Amino acid sequence: MKRLVLRWEAVLVLILILEFVVFGLINPRFLNPSNLLYGTSDFIHIGIVAVPLTLVIIGGGIDVSFASLVGLCAIVFGVANFFGVPLPLSILAALAAGVCAGAMNAAIIHFSKIQPLVVTLGSLYLFGGAATVLSGAVGAGGYEGIGNFPGIFTEFGYLEVFGIPAMLILFVIMALIFIVLLHFTRFGRSVYLVGQSENAARYSGLPVERIQTVTYLLTGLCAAIAGLMLSSYFGSARVDLGTATLLPAITAAVLGGASIYGGQGSVLGTVIAVFVIGFLQQGLQMAGVPSQVSSALSGGLLVGVVALRLGSAMLAGFVARGNKAMAARSRPIVEEKIK
Amino acid sequence: MFELFARNRVASLFAITILTFGIIGAAAPGFLSGNTIAVVMANSLVLMLISFGTMLVIITRNIDVSSGSVLGLSAAVLGLALNAGISLPLAIGLCVLVGAAAGALNGALVAGLGVPSIVATLGTLGLYRGLMLTLTGGRWIEALPQSIKSLASNLGWGGSVLTIIVLLVFAGLWFFLRRTRSGGYFFAVGDNREAARHLGIPARWIEFSAFVGAGACAALAGVVFAAQIGFIPNQAGNGIELKAIAANVLGGVSLLGGVGSAVGVFISVIFLTAIDSALVFLRIPAFWNDFIAGAILLSVLMLDGRIRLALDKRIRAKRYAIGHGGQNAKPASKEKAAESLHVSSEATR
Repeated sequence: MKRLVLRWEAVLVLILILEFVVFGLINPRFLNPSNLLYGTSDFIHIGIVAVPLTLVIIGGGIDVSFASLVGLCAIVFGVANFFGVPLPLSILAALAAGVCAGAMNAAIIHFSKIQPLVVTLGSLYLFGGAATVLSGAVGAGGYEGIGNFPGIFTEFGYLEVFGIPAMLILFVIMALIFIVLLHFTRFGRSVYLVGQSENAARYSGLPVERIQTVTYLLTGLCAAIAGLMLSSYFGSARVDLGTATLLPAITAAVLGGASIYGGQGSVLGTVIAVFVIGFLQQGLQMAGVPSQVSSALSGGLLVGVVALRLGSAMLAGFVARGNKAMAARSRPIVEEKIK
Repeated sequence: MFELFARNRVASLFAITILTFGIIGAAAPGFLSGNTIAVVMANSLVLMLISFGTMLVIITRNIDVSSGSVLGLSAAVLGLALNAGISLPLAIGLCVLVGAAAGALNGALVAGLGVPSIVATLGTLGLYRGLMLTLTGGRWIEALPQSIKSLASNLGWGGSVLTIIVLLVFAGLWFFLRRTRSGGYFFAVGDNREAARHLGIPARWIEFSAFVGAGACAALAGVVFAAQIGFIPNQAGNGIELKAIAANVLGGVSLLGGVGSAVGVFISVIFLTAIDSALVFLRIPAFWNDFIAGAILLSVLMLDGRIRLALDKRIRAKRYAIGHGGQNAKPASKEKAAESLHVSSEATR
C-alpha cells in the first residue's frame, strides 16, 4: 500500500519534470527561475484550499462550499476594514468567519445525516449569497470589490523573503504542518480509518463525528486564509474571488491520489499536483496556447491521469495475485462510499 | 397525515410549492396570474431539461457535473451549424448528437473504465468547455437566424414549442421510468448494482445509457437556451450543473441511488424558479437571490433529513415489534442497500 502511494507521487514528480522540459523547449523563458517563483503567486491559493480539502476527502467527506467561502471571508475582512476595525482584528474576523462556516457545514452534515456533497452544495449558495449581501450592505453592490486596505496588508501579496514570495513560503509551511498532522499523528491515522470505513471506525471507538468536524473546520480556516491572500494580492476583496478555485482544487486533491471514496490520499501528492496543474496552465499560456484550449487540456489531464492510474492499478492487481484479492480489496470500498 | 407527507416527498414538496405561491400571492397581489405562471414555466425550461438528465444519472448512483459544459458545447455546435446555413431540424439533430456523444464519453469513462463518476465528469466539465471555446474561437455566437428564435415565441396560451418539447420529455421520462421494464433497471442498478448484475441486468450498459441520456437532455437544454436567449455566450450553462443537482435533491432523488421520480424533479425545478421570479416581483434586490435559495435548500434538506431519521426509527421499531414483514414501510435511507432491490421501487412511488 505504502509503496504504491509513494510510487504515485513519483509519477506526479515525473509529470512535473516533463512539463518543465516540454515548456522549456517551447519557450526557454519559462524556465527563468524568477518567472517560475513568481508564477506560483497566481495559483498558490488553489493549494491553500486543496490541502485541507484532501483531509476532508480522505475522511470520507467532500466540501464544495470553500469556493464561495473564500469570497465570503474576503468580504468579511473587507467590511471590517471598511468600518475602521484595526487590521489584526479584521484578519481575525475573517479567520473566525471561515471556522464558523466550516463548523456550520459539519453540524448540518451530522445533524441531518445528508450526504456532504448535498449539504456543502447548499452552503456554497448560502455563503456566496451571504457575501453578496454583505458587500451590498457597504455599498459595494454586485461584483465590485471592497478596496482601500492598509498598505502593509496589500504589500504582503508581493512581499519576498530571501527572494522567495511570502505566499509561497506560507503555503510550504502550511503544507508541512498538514503533512505532520496527517501522516505523523494519531489524528491523521484516524482520518484515514474513518474514511476507510465509518462504521468500523465507530465500532472501534473513534469519535467519528469529531474527527470529520475537525477536517471541515480546517477547510474553513484555510479558505479564509486563501481569501485574505487573494484580497492582498489583488488589492480588493470581491465576492467571486474563490469561484475559480472549485474545480482546480478538487482536481488537485484527486490528481494527488486522494480517493473520492475516502481512506486514500496524501498531502504531498496534493501539493505536487497543485504545481502540476498550476505550471501546466502557465506553461500553456507562455507557449501561446489560448486559455480556452488550456482549460480543455487540464480537464483532459485529470481524466487521462485518473484513467491511467485505475488502469495500471487494475493491471497490477491482475498480475500480482489473481482477481480474487483485487475484488476483495476494491469492491467493498467502491460499493459503500459512493457519494 | 404526517406519515403521508413524511414518506411522500413529492406530495410534501407540492404542498410547500402551493403554500409558497399562496404566501407570495398574499404579500404581493397580482403575483398569482396566468402571466406569472407562464414566465416561471418559460424560465424553468433549461434547468428542467438539465435536471432530468442529471436525474437519470443520479438514479443509477452516479453523478454528472459536466452537463453545464455539454449544454455550452452543443449550443455552440447548434449556433455554428445554423450560421453556416444548415437547416434548423438538421442543426438540432446535430446538436443532440453532439450532446449524446459527450454523454457517451462520460459513460465510457465511468461504466467502461471504472473512473469514479464525480472525477470523470469533473474532468470532462473542463474538457467540453474548452472544446466549446476552441470551436467558437472564444467569441460569442450572435445573430442566430430567426427560425430558432421563433421556437421560443408564445403560441397564445402562454407556452411555446419549447414548452411542448419539455413537457413531452417529461411525460416520456415518467413513462419510461415508471412503466417500462428497462426503466426499472435504472432503479435496480442504482439501488444495488451487484444484485442487479446477478439478476442479469446489464448494469454497465444501463449506467452508460444514463450518461448518454443526460448528454442528450443537456443538448436539448442547449437548444432551448439558444432559442430563448438568441445568442450563445462563452459561459452558456456555466454553474447550472450544481443547480440541477440541488433541484434533484430537493425533488427527492437520493444521491445514494435507486430513488427518485420525474414528477418530484419537475415540481422542485418549478419551485426553485418560482422563488427567483418572486424575488423579482417582490422587488427584493437581486443580490439576495443566492442567499435565499441556499437557505431554503439547506433548511428543506435539514428538515427532510430529520424527518427521514425519525421515520426510519419508527419503522424499525415497528418491524422489530411485529417480526419481519413491513415491506411497504420501506425507508429511503442508507439502510436500504442491505435490502432486496424490488422493495425500494415501492418507496419511490
